[in-house]
Amino acid sequence: MKGIVFTELLDLVEEKFGLGMVDTIIENSELESGGVYTAVGTYSFAEMLSLLKSLSAATGISIDDLLEVYAEHFFSVVEVSYPGFLAQYNDPIEMLASIENHIHVEVRKIYPDAELPTFDIEEKTDKSLTMLYTSSRAMYSFGRGLMNKTFEHFNSSATIIMEKLKEDGTEVRFIITKND
Amino acid sequence: MTRVKTMKVLLIEDDLIEVMKLKRSISKLDMDVTLVEAKNGEEALDLLKDSQSLPDLIFLDLNMPKINGIEFLKILKSDDVLRYLPTVILTTSSNRKDVLECYKVGVAGYILKPLKYDEYLDKIQKTLLYWSVNELIKI
Amino acid sequence: MTKLSVEILERALKRERAARKQAERILEQKARELYTLTQELQFSNKELEHMVWEKTSELKGVFENIIDAFVVMDLSGKVLKMNDAAIDLLGYTIANEPINLIDIVHPDEKQGIIDAFKLLYVNGSVANYQVKVITKEGKTRLVDINASIIYDEKDKPVAAQGIVRDITEFKCLENQKEILLKKLEKSNDELQEYAHVVSHDLKSPLRSIYALVDWIKEDNEGQFNEETLHNFSLIDITLEKMEQLISDVLDYSSVTSENVSAAEVDLNIVFKDIYQILYLPDHIKLSCIKNLPSIKGNRSRLQQLFQNLISNAIRYCDKEEGLIDLDYKDQGEFYQFSIQDNGIGIAPEHHEKIFKIFQSLHQNKESTGVGLSIVKKIVESYQGEIWLESALGEGTTFYFTLKKEL
Repeated sequence: MKGIVFTELLDLVEEKFGLGMVDTIIENSELESGGVYTAVGTYSFAEMLSLLKSLSAATGISIDDLLEVYAEHFFSVVEVSYPGFLAQYNDPIEMLASIENHIHVEVRKIYPDAELPTFDIEEKTDKSLTMLYTSSRAMYSFGRGLMNKTFEHFNSSATIIMEKLKEDGTEVRFIITKND
Repeated sequence: MTRVKTMKVLLIEDDLIEVMKLKRSISKLDMDVTLVEAKNGEEALDLLKDSQSLPDLIFLDLNMPKINGIEFLKILKSDDVLRYLPTVILTTSSNRKDVLECYKVGVAGYILKPLKYDEYLDKIQKTLLYWSVNELIKI
Repeated sequence: MTKLSVEILERALKRERAARKQAERILEQKARELYTLTQELQFSNKELEHMVWEKTSELKGVFENIIDAFVVMDLSGKVLKMNDAAIDLLGYTIANEPINLIDIVHPDEKQGIIDAFKLLYVNGSVANYQVKVITKEGKTRLVDINASIIYDEKDKPVAAQGIVRDITEFKCLENQKEILLKKLEKSNDELQEYAHVVSHDLKSPLRSIYALVDWIKEDNEGQFNEETLHNFSLIDITLEKMEQLISDVLDYSSVTSENVSAAEVDLNIVFKDIYQILYLPDHIKLSCIKNLPSIKGNRSRLQQLFQNLISNAIRYCDKEEGLIDLDYKDQGEFYQFSIQDNGIGIAPEHHEKIFKIFQSLHQNKESTGVGLSIVKKIVESYQGEIWLESALGEGTTFYFTLKKEL
């Protein structure tokens, strides 16, 4: 997993809960890296899981909720780092529908070894989109957070319903309906 | 059966034996045929000047000295009176070009002379019989 | 500050430092990778440059060595480059005197070349444009030009290139050829005409003799003995053979490729006709192995071809049960036919000879020795070949090919 995902998480934790919380979750997790992260490095996903578990335990917030909040924070990283990328779109539905065929393709150009989830479009209209999320990481909530921010970015909002097709969350259907 | 009327035939032929052949053929037929002979085209044209005694039928050889058969035919066909005379070509030449040219100018028939005299006789008889029952233009 | 928070800060600091070192290491690594990549790129750039150079020199070689004259000119016709052949042809060298193509065109064709230039500009190319040019020495040459526009990378026309071929001699030869062909045609026609006249002149006396003999017999009926009557009949037979010979020779001389008219001929119908025309004795079985194809050509010639071969097969049958089989194979552009019999066969030493005119192997009333030479001539007029396989006493197979479409 890309280092930026770790550094941004820890920055967010520090911002919301203070440096003590950062220290706590690093100390409470079993981390191969010893909690040393740099945005340009690559680290095991297990460390992320471990950090999230510790954070959830220390704050009493569910992992799903944590991921969603983190995703909303992460979106702003994208906004700052790749403004031109977002400028290519003028509609949130269009942008989300292009995840698989466009966004991920571009991501792979920058990070050839990135491990990305798949988003298969099942149904699409001007106002709605149904996609099937598949990933062994089960980070669907992260996806949802990014989606929320996407709508916000285009000054819009949406109702997003998630249907877990598998108990462990490795397959989730997103039913996204744009609010009028 | 109506009796076949008298026919006057002009033969234009330079070969003596060919003339004899036709003469002999006519003599064998039970028909009243008068044969007039011309050795070449000029002689024939001389004979045809007398509009009172025009033949009913002309047998014309294609290979003749001076005016050849087709030239002679063209002269006939450009004459207001003579153009109505049925002219039958009697030749050994099966040259397709000649046959075409003759029919183009206007012939009443094109008869190939066979080798065997019997067959020749048969052809002449049929031709004369045919023309004897035809209505002809007399001017 | 509490002891705990100091420890936290120390740990954070330690992590930050380790992270910085890690980042530096990673960046160092990336920098090295970038350096290697740059090296590789430089190398492949050199290779590309080399390839471009190679192509350029190849083109230069083509430009210089092409046998035809090659010129590059700007869009107004001013010659920018010309190869040695072009210099040889036109006599000008642009290094010494700049020339414009339009200026060296023959005065009569000035308007024509200007129009051709317009056409070139509009269509992007001009093919086989023939024009007279005047060389430096003042000689007029007829040239054939194939030209095309050269575009820059933005598809903007920048120049024109042309291959200029001197066709002065060629045109001259072509004209000569045409004259010769016309002459040949005329002399062929004359020959044909001559053959008809000769045949007529030869046939006429035969008719006379026949008639005279007939009359002698008729006029002296009952006065000749057996032997004389037999001799008279020999005269008839001789005359008939002579007549046939003259007809055959005329026929032979009439087979020329010009007689091939391009109508579709169904060979099945031809075969049926032959079957009806030929006298087929009861003991001979003539059969067609399979449905025959159609071929473009002259019906009567094709009939003559098959008829002559089949009638030969009938004539030279010596078996109690004669078999004649007609078959064919599709060979793409050609059909290959075969006519197989179980007759007397032909000795190997005669296989060539039989196709020559007047070469009959048998003293036969019906045979004049012309039939197979006509067959060969017809086959050749269809660009085909004829040959045979034969065993004495066992039979003969004639093979021949005919081009499907001439």
